Amino acid sequence: MTIKPLDLSTRAITTGGAPRRKPTRRRPLTGILLGLLCVLMLSPFIWMTLSVTKPTDVAFANPPVFSGYTPTLQAFVDLWQTTYFADYLVNTLVVAVVSTVLALVIGIPAAYALSRFPSYVSALLLVLALVFRALPRFAVVLPMYDISKSLGIYDTTFALALALVAINQPFTIWLLRNFFAEIPRELDEAAMIDGCSRIGMLRRVMIPLMGPGILTAGIFVFLFAFQEYLTALVLTDSSSKTVPVFIATQLGQTLPMLQQAGAASMLLTIPVVVIAFIAQKYLVAGLSDGAVKG
Amino acid sequence: MKTREFWVLFFPSLLVMGALLVLPLVRTVQWSFEQVRYGVPGEFVGLANFVEALTDVRFGRAVLFTVSVTVVTTIILLVGGYIIATAVNRLTITRPLVLGIMLVSYVLPNLVGAVAFSWLFDDSFGGLANRIIEAFTGNQVLWFTDQVPNGILVIANTVWSMIPFAMLIILAGLQGVPSELKEAARIDGASSFQTHLHVIIPTIRGVLGFVTLITIMDVLRMFDNLIPLSPQAQSIGNESIMLYVYSVAFADGAQRLGLGSAINVLTILLILIMLIPFIRGIFKEAKAER
Repeated sequence: MTIKPLDLSTRAITTGGAPRRKPTRRRPLTGILLGLLCVLMLSPFIWMTLSVTKPTDVAFANPPVFSGYTPTLQAFVDLWQTTYFADYLVNTLVVAVVSTVLALVIGIPAAYALSRFPSYVSALLLVLALVFRALPRFAVVLPMYDISKSLGIYDTTFALALALVAINQPFTIWLLRNFFAEIPRELDEAAMIDGCSRIGMLRRVMIPLMGPGILTAGIFVFLFAFQEYLTALVLTDSSSKTVPVFIATQLGQTLPMLQQAGAASMLLTIPVVVIAFIAQKYLVAGLSDGAVKG
Repeated sequence: MKTREFWVLFFPSLLVMGALLVLPLVRTVQWSFEQVRYGVPGEFVGLANFVEALTDVRFGRAVLFTVSVTVVTTIILLVGGYIIATAVNRLTITRPLVLGIMLVSYVLPNLVGAVAFSWLFDDSFGGLANRIIEAFTGNQVLWFTDQVPNGILVIANTVWSMIPFAMLIILAGLQGVPSELKEAARIDGASSFQTHLHVIIPTIRGVLGFVTLITIMDVLRMFDNLIPLSPQAQSIGNESIMLYVYSVAFADGAQRLGLGSAINVLTILLILIMLIPFIRGIFKEAKAER
């Protein structure tokens, strides 16, 4: 098997665009089945939305209640007023933003170097990236817990962000490398003959060309950090707790608390879903158009 | 590019990965040979932790459960992903909408998706899906306290969250199949089913291999979704390997770090073995480029 894994996933993202050929014939059955599938895929989310917007006394009633109640946003109000949700949300955002920025700042030069240095070193490093991507999380997170405690940075957003940069770095490099590999090397050479240094060329020529690639990598890293549960569970306690950890602690408690967990889930989900829809369009426009015009 | 330039550009990333991935990993390997607690230096005990893990019935059940879920999920994802990708490949104007909807379950945090899933199936939270199943079959399914139904629930949730990924990658593969190939098959009188089986699937087998690899890697380390979906995982025998590590080495002040680390090392070995074909692929490519 000689495939380059993430080449394919970057290509996959371009497939949201208009297809290149016309369909041979109309197939209404396919459309109906896909429509049903979409409803099925969304059903847990729809059900959660309904449960969260019901008054608490009927929210989890069995048999389920579908009408005769007044929809309410009380769960969101309670979430905001009776828990430290705002703090957890800020923590989650800080961790996601900091780790995305750091991951890109160190990942872009590394990925570029890997794409331009074809040798056994580069192949070996890529293999390591793949292996580290596949590691069981606890194999690095439990030692990190021990180390962060002895360094006195346990339960800080910075430690969590840094941990996530490292954990996602192999993936970041791997993804970015494949974008860089599509940019012809002649372009580097031309820019450098024109008097650019390697770093200057990376900044002025490569990064603008890599816009869609960097955005893709950034979105993935942001999503990973935003939704990370396991690492945050181990590396945070109270002062840097993130929303997923908060949601998990609300489970198995009282019904109002469960409903608040649902409300928190929705607030965590909505931005992610919006990103998924916006990013899909952007990536289609950026990539199918041929971002690499070399 | 000069070697020096390469290392300058690569160094920051290397530093972060070395300090925050390699060092912790070395610590894990070291711990796996020790009797150790957090914050206290360990004591070397040889292979005792490995012996304990491999003879522990609970660990055996965790491996069995994890591997079963992984195998079933992978098969469903390959077949289902292929069928859905073929269907989506025929769409024109509605394609971005369908892809967007399909992506929702993939980008949702696993934990959130599993919470939402559990509400559909738990009778004490309304259990909409149960009412529907009951109306059709008259049976009540104990999704959370019976081993097999609970396993099915976990598989359903895993498939739900990963099928968009499988579908997207296979879709990308399908678009790379030259239309001449399909035409040639049709002219030769192949039925649509035969074309899929003998022409399209062999052409995209690399893509299918990639989906298989990522699925196996991700499902083998499942953790988040079991928290809401299998609250009684240990007593009904539906613990995943990672959940087992968590409960012996971290949860509620657990301190059996040596045992947990030994299991992590065993899991890493298992994953390395599975990665071998891909690693060879990368080296072959590097050789070709030289």
